[in-house]
Amino acid sequence: MANRSKLNGTTAVKDIEGLSTQAFLAAIVESSDDAIYGKTLDGTILSWNRGAERMYGYLAAEIVGRPVSEMVPSTKPDEVPQILERVKRGERVDHFETARVRKDGEVIDVSLNVSPIRDASGKIIGASTTARDITEQKKMHEALTQRAKEILDVSTPVLQVWEGVVVAPFIGTLDTQRAQQFMERLLDKIVETNSSVALLDVTGVPAIDTRTAQHLIETITSVRLLGAQAVLTGVRPAIAQTLAHLGINLADVVTRSSLAAGLRVALDILHLKITSQDGEA
Amino acid sequence: MTNQNISLVKVRDTLLVTMPADPDDVTVTTFQEEVLAAMEKFRPKGLVLDISGVETLDSFFARTITETSRMVAMMGGQTVIAGMRPSVAITATQLGLTLAGTLTALTVDRALDLLTHPHPRRQKR
Repeated sequence: MANRSKLNGTTAVKDIEGLSTQAFLAAIVESSDDAIYGKTLDGTILSWNRGAERMYGYLAAEIVGRPVSEMVPSTKPDEVPQILERVKRGERVDHFETARVRKDGEVIDVSLNVSPIRDASGKIIGASTTARDITEQKKMHEALTQRAKEILDVSTPVLQVWEGVVVAPFIGTLDTQRAQQFMERLLDKIVETNSSVALLDVTGVPAIDTRTAQHLIETITSVRLLGAQAVLTGVRPAIAQTLAHLGINLADVVTRSSLAAGLRVALDILHLKITSQDGEA
Repeated sequence: MTNQNISLVKVRDTLLVTMPADPDDVTVTTFQEEVLAAMEKFRPKGLVLDISGVETLDSFFARTITETSRMVAMMGGQTVIAGMRPSVAITATQLGLTLAGTLTALTVDRALDLLTHPHPRRQKR
């Protein structure tokens, strides 16, 4: 009959050739890539696996018996007591993102899972912590966010092309976030340059749906409220067809098929006229 | 409590009205009454409503502006709303407060230009 033993009331494993259950579980912990360590309820480190040695730079022999607070940045003095307080109440702390200091002084971003350790009678006698180094992950996430913001920034420029005329060339599709950002940028530029005319150019918009059209109309309305006039330019045949099919009413909006034609309208509004050098229009 | 004073000045043929930052309903009601009274007294050709200091535009204020400009038109005056802030314009648009049928200008200066040299394209609105 196979020898089965029970640990913690829930875990049961078969004895592996020559290894006791305890030793087998210890080997799992030891070989884990995550840092796994145990501590008493007052924060004294009791055990320290190889993953912890790699992540924090302390050898087990150096750190066991020392307080866990040694790895906590000085800016977060209350963190460990708070976590231990929750553990004492029998709670688990999951995916707690914070920072820790390595032996060499480098600060790393970590995600912690802390859970209570109970003795045979169920009394909480300590806490086990699994820590994962998320420094790279966080850096990558920040870089991505930054890149997304940059794309958003470069994709909606607003340019002053003449005294009193700004051009906002739209490129790509217009979701709600971009439309909102675009509107703010355009209105600010109009006020900043004291421009009476804003040309909204949709040449670079591949297709217009109801939502995009709605955003355009909102932008045009806001421009008017501000005291300037918006002219929609770059209305290609396909765009004109879609707008008509969608039943979007642009009756109050001046629209032109090209940016050049829109610029003419703008100059007209400003009572300006382009003449050739020999005086002809 | 913010300052709720409306400033109302007649400059030549124009009535220049400046609204406080955060007009309450009483101020808005007073605004309409005072404007109409001044229209009767001075018979100006135009009304410039300077809202460059206004931080919030609610539906009551928006409706009163549209209404007042219609009343002013009936008394022979042209209304121009001047200086709405970008943030106010965005919120107003989202709330559907479009002040339809009114004239708008970036600044009081521009509003005065508009009243003295009305442009056919803008006049149409």
